[in-house]
Formats: sequence, C-alpha cells, structure tokens
Amino acid sequence: MADYAPVDLTAENLVSFELNGEKVQAPAGTMLVDACHALGVEVPIFCYEPRIGPPVGACRMCLVEVEGMRGLQTACSTPVQPDMVVRTTSELATQGQESVLELLLANHPLDCPVCDKGGECPLQDRTFRFGPGKSRFHESKRHFLKPVELSSRIALDRERCISCFRCVRFSQEVAQDGQLTMQERGGRSEIATFSGDAYEARFTGNIIDVCPVGALTSIPYRFVARPWDVTNTPSVCGLCPVGCNTELTLREGVVRRVSGRDEPNYAVEEGWLCDVGRWAYDSADHTGRLHRAVVRDANGARETNMADALSAATLVLQRADGPVGILLGPAATVEEAAIALDLAGGALRGAVVARLGIPAGPLAPLRATRRAEMGDIDDAQTVIVVGGDPSLQQPVVELRLRKAALRRGARIVTVGSRRTGLADVAEHVDAAPGALHAAISDIAARIAASAEPVVLWDEAELAAEPAAADALATAIAANGAARQIELGQDPNGAGLRALGIPATGLRDALAAGRLGALITVHADPRSAPGRDAWDAALGDVPVVSVATHVDATTDRATVVLPSLTLWEQEGTLVSMTGRAQRVRRGADGPDGAAPGWEILIALGHYLGAPPAYRTPGAAFAAAAKAHPGLGGLTYDDMGTLGAPLPPPAADHLAGDAGESVAAGSAGLALVAVRDVHAGRAAQGSEALLAFHAPAAARVSAATAERARLTDGATARISSPHGEATLPVRVAPGLPDDAVFVALGTPGAAPESLLGPDRGPVRVELRP
Amino acid sequence: MPIMNNVYRQRAAEKPLVTLDDYRAAGGYTALPKALADVEPDDLQYVFMRSGLRGRGGAGFPMGKKASFLPKDSKKAKYVVCNADESEPGTFKDRDIMAFNPFQLLEGITLAGYAIGAERGYIYIRGEYEHQARVLDDAVRQARAAGLLGEGILKSTLNFDITVYRGAGAYICGEETALLESLEGKRGQPRLKPPFPAVAGLYQSPTLINNVETLAALPPIVENGADWYAALGPEKSPGSKVFSISGHVMRPGNYEIVLGETTLRELIFVHAGGLRPGRRVKAVWVGGSSVPVLGEGHLDTPLDYESIQAAGSALGSGGCIVMDDSGCIVRASLRLATFYRHESCGKCSPCREGTTWLEKLLMRMIAGEARMEDLEMMETLFGRISGKTLCPLAEGAVAPIKSALNMFRDDFVRVVENGSPRPEPMMAGA
Amino acid sequence: MTADEIRAYLEPRRHEFADPRSLVMPALKYAQTTRGHLSREDLDAVAEATGFTPSFVESVASFYDRLYTQPVGNRVVSVCITLSCMLRGSDEVWDHLCEKEGIDHHHGGTSADGRITIQEAQCLGYCDKAPCIQVDADETLGPFTPDSAAALVDELRAAPDPEEYWR
Repeated sequence: MADYAPVDLTAENLVSFELNGEKVQAPAGTMLVDACHALGVEVPIFCYEPRIGPPVGACRMCLVEVEGMRGLQTACSTPVQPDMVVRTTSELATQGQESVLELLLANHPLDCPVCDKGGECPLQDRTFRFGPGKSRFHESKRHFLKPVELSSRIALDRERCISCFRCVRFSQEVAQDGQLTMQERGGRSEIATFSGDAYEARFTGNIIDVCPVGALTSIPYRFVARPWDVTNTPSVCGLCPVGCNTELTLREGVVRRVSGRDEPNYAVEEGWLCDVGRWAYDSADHTGRLHRAVVRDANGARETNMADALSAATLVLQRADGPVGILLGPAATVEEAAIALDLAGGALRGAVVARLGIPAGPLAPLRATRRAEMGDIDDAQTVIVVGGDPSLQQPVVELRLRKAALRRGARIVTVGSRRTGLADVAEHVDAAPGALHAAISDIAARIAASAEPVVLWDEAELAAEPAAADALATAIAANGAARQIELGQDPNGAGLRALGIPATGLRDALAAGRLGALITVHADPRSAPGRDAWDAALGDVPVVSVATHVDATTDRATVVLPSLTLWEQEGTLVSMTGRAQRVRRGADGPDGAAPGWEILIALGHYLGAPPAYRTPGAAFAAAAKAHPGLGGLTYDDMGTLGAPLPPPAADHLAGDAGESVAAGSAGLALVAVRDVHAGRAAQGSEALLAFHAPAAARVSAATAERARLTDGATARISSPHGEATLPVRVAPGLPDDAVFVALGTPGAAPESLLGPDRGPVRVELRP
Repeated sequence: MPIMNNVYRQRAAEKPLVTLDDYRAAGGYTALPKALADVEPDDLQYVFMRSGLRGRGGAGFPMGKKASFLPKDSKKAKYVVCNADESEPGTFKDRDIMAFNPFQLLEGITLAGYAIGAERGYIYIRGEYEHQARVLDDAVRQARAAGLLGEGILKSTLNFDITVYRGAGAYICGEETALLESLEGKRGQPRLKPPFPAVAGLYQSPTLINNVETLAALPPIVENGADWYAALGPEKSPGSKVFSISGHVMRPGNYEIVLGETTLRELIFVHAGGLRPGRRVKAVWVGGSSVPVLGEGHLDTPLDYESIQAAGSALGSGGCIVMDDSGCIVRASLRLATFYRHESCGKCSPCREGTTWLEKLLMRMIAGEARMEDLEMMETLFGRISGKTLCPLAEGAVAPIKSALNMFRDDFVRVVENGSPRPEPMMAGA
Repeated sequence: MTADEIRAYLEPRRHEFADPRSLVMPALKYAQTTRGHLSREDLDAVAEATGFTPSFVESVASFYDRLYTQPVGNRVVSVCITLSCMLRGSDEVWDHLCEKEGIDHHHGGTSADGRITIQEAQCLGYCDKAPCIQVDADETLGPFTPDSAAALVDELRAAPDPEEYWR
C-alpha cells in the first residue's frame, strides 16, 4: 500500500518548521504525516490512506505533539504550518502511540503465525517499532466466526480487523460500488456487505492491498506462502493497454499473487488494479496451455521439443514459396516486434510484418494531438469520454474518473450509444451506434468551452468513423489546453505502432497468394475480428505459431512454438498513453516453453542469420537506435515506473488504412467491445469464476421482440463478413436497433461478424 | 417570565403549555415580534453574547460566541440545529422543556435562525422521546398555522421553518458532529474537527448547534434583555439552569435554580427531599455521568460552572445522580463502563477498545476475580484512553471511574479482595 | 413494506432536506412499522425509495439501537438499566421479567411465544421514574417494582397489537 502521499520537497511554497528539534521544510498545507515521511521521520498510521480520500482520524495511531496545541494531535489531519514545533518521539507522543497500539492489540487475536499477512503486516511491524513491550489484556477477547468469505476471492477475518475503515472507504469513495460498509456499532463493528451477499464488483481486490492487518486476504493466496518464502517483482499488467504497474509475488517459480505496488505509479494506475488484472494470473496455467512444441504433417500432429520444432519451423520458412509474413498479436512486446522486424531485414529478408489490430491511418491526426497521462485526469475540470466503455475495456480508468468527479468536482461527460459503467457520475450525450459524428459538434463545443479538458476517445469507435476522428482532432487542437487519452484496444498497440508496424497489408498479401508462410507471434487471426477473411486469406499457407495457449491458429499451424506469457517473460509494453514500461520475468512457466523473444532470436540462428543481440535488453537497445518512435529510450530510462515515448507525428502510419466496406443501412448496428472481463484471461481464471459467463448478444427488449427473440433464445446473426450463433440477452439501458457483443470470449465467434480492419458493421438478427 | 424556562412551574401547575394560546397567555411569543421589529440580526447575536448564556448541553461554551463563529459572508445556506438527543445518564431536563413548553423552544430556535440568517432549523430528538417529538410536531403545526413559522414570519421578511428529526437510539448522536452525521442520514459517528460545524456543519454548510435548554433560554433573554440575564447568578455563570436529580433521593425530578445561588446540598436535601432516613451521601455525579464523581465533602459547593470545576468535577448537563452509602461505587462504575462501551460508536480505536477493556476489568472485580495489580493496570488504562480519542465520549467514560478510584480506593481494594454482592436497591414505595 | 409506500411517506418530507440521504432514517423507521423489524426486503425497499445502496442502508440501520435488523416480539419492552435505574432496582425488575418470560438474563431476548421481547436499555431519560420501562416508543413509564413490571407485561400480552410498530 502506498500509505503516505508523495511530497515534493523542492516545491516553491515551502514553509519552515521544527521537527524533533531540527529545522525542516515542507510545502505549506502538506499533512504532517506525509511531510514527516518525506523527511525521513516515520509517524505510524493505519487508517490514513491519501489515495482513498481525506483523513478520517479513526485509528489515532499518528498522535504527535504540536507545541501550543492542547494534548496530542493526529498528524494525518494536521497540516504543516510555518514555525510549528512538532515532536513525534517525545515522551507524550510515544505514550500516545504506545497507548493506541496496546488498545488496538487488546482484542486482536495475535495469530500472526497462521496469518497470511504475517511478515508483511503494518500492524506487526508498527507494534515492534512503536508498541508497548507486552500486552496486559487479560480479558477474554472478542470472537467472531472466522474467516468468512466476503466473495469467492476475498476472505474476511473480523477478529483481526482494527476498524480502520480503509476497505469501506475504498468501496464507497474510490470504486463507489457502495457494497462494503461498516455495520453494527462500537466493539461489535464489522465490515460487511448487504445481508452477507458476496462482494462482487470490478475492483474489489484493492481492499486486500489497503488492509493494514490480516483481516482481508486473497483466497487464492491463503496459506500459499510466507513473505520470507517469496520474491516480489515489479511488473506491468498485459491484459489491457492501461499498463497498470503490478507486483508479482513468486514462490518456487510460480506467480502466487499479483498486487498493486507499494510505490504506485501515480501517472498510471495509482496503485489500484482491476480484479481481472489482479487475479487472472492463474489463467496462464489453465486448460489449453502449450507445454510442448507441436509439429504437424501429413501424419497428424506430434508433440516434440523446442529444438526439434525450431528445426521444423526453419524448414517451413526456408521452403516457403514466397516471402514470409509475420503477424504480431495485440500484446506482443516491443522486443518481440523489434526482433521480428530484424528478421524481416535479415534472415527472412522481404518478410511482411503486421500487427493484428485496428489500422492506424484514420487515427493519425487524433493521435498527434496533445497527449495526457492518466494522472492528468485528477486535475481536469472537464473530462469527455467519446465512445467506448472504459469500465469494461480499460477498467482502472474508471477509478480516475470517479476520483475526479467525487474529489475534485470534475464534470464527466460520456458520449456514445449506451450508458457506461460511469453512468452514476457522468452526464451522458447519446449518439446512435456508429454515429459519433452526429454528436461531434456538441463535443467540439464542450471542448472549446472548457478550461483544460481531457478527452478520452475509444480507438475502435473512432477508427470506424474517420470523419469524426478528424473533427475531434481539430477540436482538441483548437483548444490549446485540451489534451487527449486514447482508450486503446490492444495492450501493446502503441508499442507496435511506435515501431511503424501497420495493421494492414499482410492479409492482402496472403489473400493474393504472395506469401509463402506466416509466423504468428501471440496472434490468433483465425479467432480475431474478421476471422472468416483471415481463414480465406490463409488458405493452405503453412503457419509457424509462437503462442502460449492452444487457439484456432495453433490448431492448424504446421509448427507451434510454445511461449511464455507476460507473467513469465520479459519485455516492454507501451500503454495507451504512450508510456513504455517494463514487464519483468515472473514465473518460470512450462519447461517446454521459452520466451517469445528468445524463440524469435533462435529462429534467426536456425535460419543462419542471427541478430546481433542475445537478450531482450540488447534487443530493445538496438530497436531504440533503429526506430525513432522509441525516442532513444533505454531500460534505465524506464526504471520501475516507465517513461513516455515521443508523441507520434500527424502522418505516422497515415497509410495504414483498411479496406473500407460499406456497412449499409439495413439491419442493426453491431457494437463489439473488447471487454477484459469476457476475455480469455478472465474466463480462464478459476479465481474469477464470478465473471464467467457465456458469450451473448445483448439487445434491448424492443430489438429482441422485433426479431421475435426472447431472453436466452439462440440467435443467428449475420453480417457482410460472416455469421455467428449466440444466445440473446435482453439488457436494460441499451439502444434499440443495435446488437452488443464482447470480443475475445473463448469458444464464441462474434468476431466472424466483423471486418478484419474493423469499421462499421450492420447485422441481421434471426431466431 | 421571571424564571426563564419555567419548566417545573408548569409541572407544578400540571398545565403544560402545548397550545399556542396557552403559551401566549403565559407571555410567550413576545420576544420574536420584538426582535423582528427592533433588532438587527447582528445585534441579536450581540444580545446573546452579552447575556453570558453558556451552552446547557454539557460543555458550557458561551452560546453567543458560538453563533459568532459562523461566517458572515458565506453564500451557502445556514442552519440552526437543536440538539435534543438528551441521552446523558441522569439527565431529563430537555424532555420536560419539550413536553411542557415546546413553543418556547420553537421561539428560541426561530430567534437563533433570525440572528444567524438561517432559513431552516432542525430539532434532532432522540428516538426514545417519541412522545415529546409528537408534542413538538404538533407545536410546529400550530406555529406554522399562526404564521410563526414558514414564509414571512409575522409579516416580516423572515422565512424560517423547523423540522423535527427523530434519532433512533444512539447516545453518541448527542456529540454535535455525530448528530450532524445522523441528521444527514448516516451512522452517527463523530467527524474529525476542524472544520467545525460553524464553518462546515450540516450538509457542509455553516451550522449553529445548541442544546434545547440553551435555545429555550433565548426568548426570555430577548424579552428582558441581556443585562437582566447576565445579572442572574455569578458573572461567569449567569442565568438559571434546570437540574435533573435522581438516584437515592426522595423527590427525584427537574428543579430550576439560579446558578451559584444553591449548593449541591440544598439541591439534594431541600429540593429533592433528601435521602432515606439514616443514609448518608456516598457519591454524586453532578453533571450527568460523564464527569468526575463528588463525595459527601463536596456537598456545600455552589452549583455553578466555576465552583463545580473548582471542586474537581463539571456542571455538565446538570443531570445529578446521587448514590447513598447503601450503594457500591465499583458496581456503579461498572454500570457506567457498560453504558459507554455500549454507546461507543466504534470509529476510533482507543474508545472502542478502551471502553470494552474497562468494562471487562470491572466485571472481573465485581466477580472477585481481580488482583491488586489490576487496580494499577486500570490506572494506566485511563492514561491509555484519555487524550487519544476523536470525540469526548471516552473521556466521559474515564472521568467518573478514574475519579471514583481516586476517591474511593478503599472500596475498590475491598471489592478486589472480596467481590461485590448486589446491594439492596431503593425500591419504589420504599 | 414496498418502496412505493416508503416513497409516498417520504414525499411530503423531501423538501425539508438539502440532501436526500437525510430521508434514510425516517424511511427506516417507517419501514419498520409493518413487521416491527427490518427484513432484507424492507432494507431493499428503503434503498430503492431513497436511492442509496442496500449496504449503506443496512449499515445505518445496524448502528442504531431502535432499528431492528433481526426479528423481535410483537411488543418490545425496554428496561432501563443505567445508573439511576440500577440504584432504584432495575436489576431486580430485569431479572424478574427475564425469569418470567424464560429469557436469557445476560442478553435479553424474545419470549417463546414470540410476543414479548425484553431488552436492556441505556438511560431512557426518565431517571425521576426509576426504574423505568419503555414499551416500543410509547411514553416511558415508572417507577416499577418487579411485580408491577410483570403486570405490565401481562397486560401487553393480553392487549391487541398496535397497528403500526413505532419503536
């Protein structure tokens, strides 16, 4: 947990005061606890958590002596003032801190040996440092049935709870899900949900991170490890393009836990994770994980070792009848992509490299406008969300927007075809699906009228409406103080684009029969949007697939080279705001698998033209020299918190334009959402069972009725691109004449309905 | 209206002033028209200030000064909140002011609202006082019908109305910020101060909060003038005060006296009819239960803020509980510990844990299961709690028990050695 | 109780409060008048009628002594046990009532026939009538002896239940 707010001791508004006999300085108005922390004096705390909100003064742990003020003061709620004299270690202050700790421990079970928090517990640590020597509480302790399951993911031990209110304040004020509250009164107080219902929401796991005792623990992590058995590695989540900074807890080569970092990245996630990012790590091992390489020939598929498979892949590539294609998936790392580009310039000279994603051309002017980082949302007075639904696609963005609305009174405006997860805090401007252009003059007027607006825009929806994208870019550029954040689709879309990799070209070349083989790197074109077109283009072209899990592409690939996942391998991802951040090596992964970057380097060796580097760091360094989009960054520059890449030029990848297929005006608008909760990681995670749901086509009641469909019935949906069969879900709050589907759910195929280059689609819905 | 609240006079007359006509006949609603006609709001505040009236809820803070803390230039709505959450053990004075003289309270709240520029007042009344709440509801209806509440009161430009808001059983809601939380529909847990209610109170707006008895004192002050009130009793504790007296006395009840003119002994032995024959005063909790206990040696202390403080206690709410020598001070202390443990809101840890601990410790003593070290332990426990908490509730728990241990240490020692059997109570009809 | 009934009750009071959250407590007290306690459905209805989450509504309800989130008897008899009442025999009254109704002396509870709940109350503000007893939210009565308190309970058992439970 973050505990203390960052303090800038070089700020201009410093005031001088005395701290434990020394003259010190801190910015005026800083809370004393934070100032002390920044100055190297620890004032113990439990309830204070500046990320959650203003101080509540409940635990009373931070009592200090301030000259001229009667008795002891809570340092968490006392701002620094000029010339104040503060004592944190005086007899009076020490007596206060000891007193509070003794009382906090009076009813605490002291079951540290069997507590998951033991060894990394603020209560334990602060008791050693600030507590009385021993407890004199000889009465019977308070007892609760323990532990109870707050949800299938979180256990609550009420005996250990010290009622610091951090978790309930998180639920009420940060996630604003309203589910977790303090119930009962006095010594019987307990944190609880309504009538003991499960605490199910999008960000519940953060209450584990903020709990300063062992009251809230992760059920998948219960009794798995002690802090001295584990190593913690800072990393980055690869499930969506927000790029939340994480900490991986590893034991015996396995990821046992993902948490927000103790030192959060305030420019990105501020320490908060969504539940998918926190718990989906177990999906790395779920059914379908590729443990061994596979080689397929006329006799069928056989498992083999990596060396054998690399030889087979080499043969495939050498015998290819024409140049090779290399297709990078949405979460392929910068290093993997850079190596692929090097192969295309070396061992596989003439190879066509592309990414599986949305063509960049139509968005080039918009991406070139002034960029904001997530942290900038905090200070915005107006935030306009154009299209999309960040709550589903880039979840942690929701918390920033809620914070801006609740704490700063910012005005949040959502524009789009439906109420989003922000409906309760946002003003909504309705725009029919695929018709953002109709609202663009309204949006432009709001941008023009706002002081320092931040505009969040959805990559998929604006790419489908190039005219709206251009108009939005113009509006943002016209207000010199406006900034934008792309609500991207792909975890490393920005990184792949920074290397100049287009989304188009490769499939056309395949379809035209110009390519002799295809290498896929964490890419599954046969399940992707436009999968039918991909299938047609691929035909019998042999495929070498670098993949972590079995998918529709590996099922038919000639060679499958099993790769490590982003919980297991190193690399760099570039977030949707253009921040390059390092993913660190976490779990070992299956013995038969290797890092994607290593597989690609090995391919170069097997093909007789190895790249000049052997490590991802060296690969990145070479790439930074070769590709100006990487801004000459080094791993050192990125450090633990990443570094921003230079913004793209207005003509960057301007030619990356997809084939435009007229959507037509007949039928219903199709809205396809890349919902992280519906994706493979969440759906494959046992911990996230609560999110498991079969894919469905969600429609309004009127739309269902017109199509003579009822809730739960199976619908046949067809578009110019293909067909899909999905159960219908009648959902409130959806516009009529539209069909909503989530992308990426394993086993479902709404991707058939889309064009490979996306763009607007209308569909027919039949029983 | 010679004595301001007139509470027990009305009781003696058995004629509560619950109709507007009766209240008017008794001289009511003369202060409000006078103020509206002749006194500017700021001047009215000055009248409150000069009267020397101190808050009658327990803390004794000067009422006029409290009103002066409200920002003059705020654009936010302002509120008057009447604290009628009377729950301090031994205190039942507000109960009778509301039941017997509800209009005087409404008039007082309206005067306060006029003085600070508020348009709405709330009476936050404890849920257990449903009867009194209904009396107030009815009085508000009558006052509205007569143009004494609502828009353009008495054809002036004053718009002011009053809402009676019922609590639901929580002593802590007598603490002003907890009351505001509760009035906002939340759990009644005290807020961190600052900001103080005068600046950010109800709905984060400037709010004046005063006790029933304080606000009910305003009409006679306005009517008779600040000087008249300031001249009653001692300089620093002017005015009259209703004392609720209960426990081992023959005539428990509410007695209104001028501060400083009556001693504790007179209150007990003259007004309240003394003790049962042959009994002596053992302990007196003079200002509700949240104050240090006094003993027989303090009986000649005059009843005013300064004198009681000099004797080592506090005037508090004026809820005077008397225990004679048949009672056990350790049992009494335990009963109070139980009260504070039950009423601790649980927000801050020293109170939540400290009151729980105190109760358990005293329970062991009563049961004869404690050791002498526990007495020293209890002494340090007071220091663990005192000065550490968010609001004064826990101080209220410490004060009577700590003082009891100081004053009656021999009794505690005897109870530690032998336990304490339940003494014979003073039963009804005895 | 339904959300609509609660809305109808709150409607005339709505203008009195700058923040609708203030309606939660009146809504809870009113919702309690049907069953005498707040069932899950009642809490849900209050949440719906006031626009706050059920969890919040329950957290408020569970804070206050006179809002009951568990079933109680048809009549709730609150025996004040605080200092003034103790000095005047409330423990004797309490013990006698618990024994008479077959209720646990330590915690109080509800009689086997479900008619009467005996609960300890902290100072009810009727110390001049100690030991005092309040039935539901009726005016508090006293002083009682163990016998007169028992007679009160007998009367309550024989009397028809109130149409609305104000507690």
